[in-house]
Amino acid sequence: MGLIKKLPVYSEKIPGGGLVTTSVETVLHFSQACSLWYLLFGTACCAIELMCTGASRYDFDRLGMIFRASPRQSDLIIAAGTITKKMAPRLRKLYDQMAEPRYVIAMGGCTIKGGPFYYDSYAVEKGIDHIVPVDIYIPGCPPRPESLLEGCIHLQEKIKKQKLSDWQEK
Amino acid sequence: MTREELKSYVEGHFDGKLKSLDTGRYDPIFEIQPSDLITVAKALRDDESLKMDFLCNLGAVDTCEKLEVVYSVASTTKNLRLDFKFSLPYDNPEVDSIKEVWPGIDWYEREIWELYGINVRNHGNLKQFLLPDDWDQGNPMRKDWDAPDFIRMPEV
Repeated sequence: MGLIKKLPVYSEKIPGGGLVTTSVETVLHFSQACSLWYLLFGTACCAIELMCTGASRYDFDRLGMIFRASPRQSDLIIAAGTITKKMAPRLRKLYDQMAEPRYVIAMGGCTIKGGPFYYDSYAVEKGIDHIVPVDIYIPGCPPRPESLLEGCIHLQEKIKKQKLSDWQEK
Repeated sequence: MTREELKSYVEGHFDGKLKSLDTGRYDPIFEIQPSDLITVAKALRDDESLKMDFLCNLGAVDTCEKLEVVYSVASTTKNLRLDFKFSLPYDNPEVDSIKEVWPGIDWYEREIWELYGINVRNHGNLKQFLLPDDWDQGNPMRKDWDAPDFIRMPEV
């Protein structure tokens, strides 16, 4: 089994390619990780960093990440910005509309624990992890594009490592 | 009209209903009586040398002892700005609606009604505006407001 897992890694180094045998699991998760389409869900200043990451200087496309305006075409929701109590049901609704397997990145302090609105705020949800299950937390206010890219790379690694049985149970 | 000219003009006219407050900020601010609100608003709008035709903002301030309502108005033709305000008691505060003077005040009045609990007489459309639809926790901008998940900033 160990050799089968590592075959895709070795086969990339074979010049000219050839016949490769591997497991469905590895190929499936490899392709999933390399085409994470994310839902545009920018609610505050983190969205500016998200846009910057999507633009040519940081170039999200090279990770296979393309923005989608519809939850039905998305694999990933990047919650970029403050989630207010009024916005929380909408976030849940969009998450429910996405096809499985689906992933969530909580970008910035607000989505992790309310951020600067933790104290003295009647309107801000203190963390989105009790609305939707979060895979990756990216701290920062707002996080720089490099942080977001690293968070996405971590998510890709997580996806590549997972088993088929993992996301069936989810 | 400079700032000082505007200040003395407003104090000299309108039967002394606007009293200037020396706060040091650039836009002059005046205090009025709550009962004079509609008269003052109409006078400021119709005055030939002021022509305050635009309402910039309506805000409320909770000072823990009383509530203050602040109106900011501007003139688009004379390039002037001024604020006027008055105080209300903490219990059962009420103001008159000045929709008839500046119709744009409609939403601002709903806002102070919802967030500060200041009742607006003769508004006619006071209903849920900014807060969530299922909100039943009162007026959150009041300083004494509290809720189970509301965390106050600790004293440093």
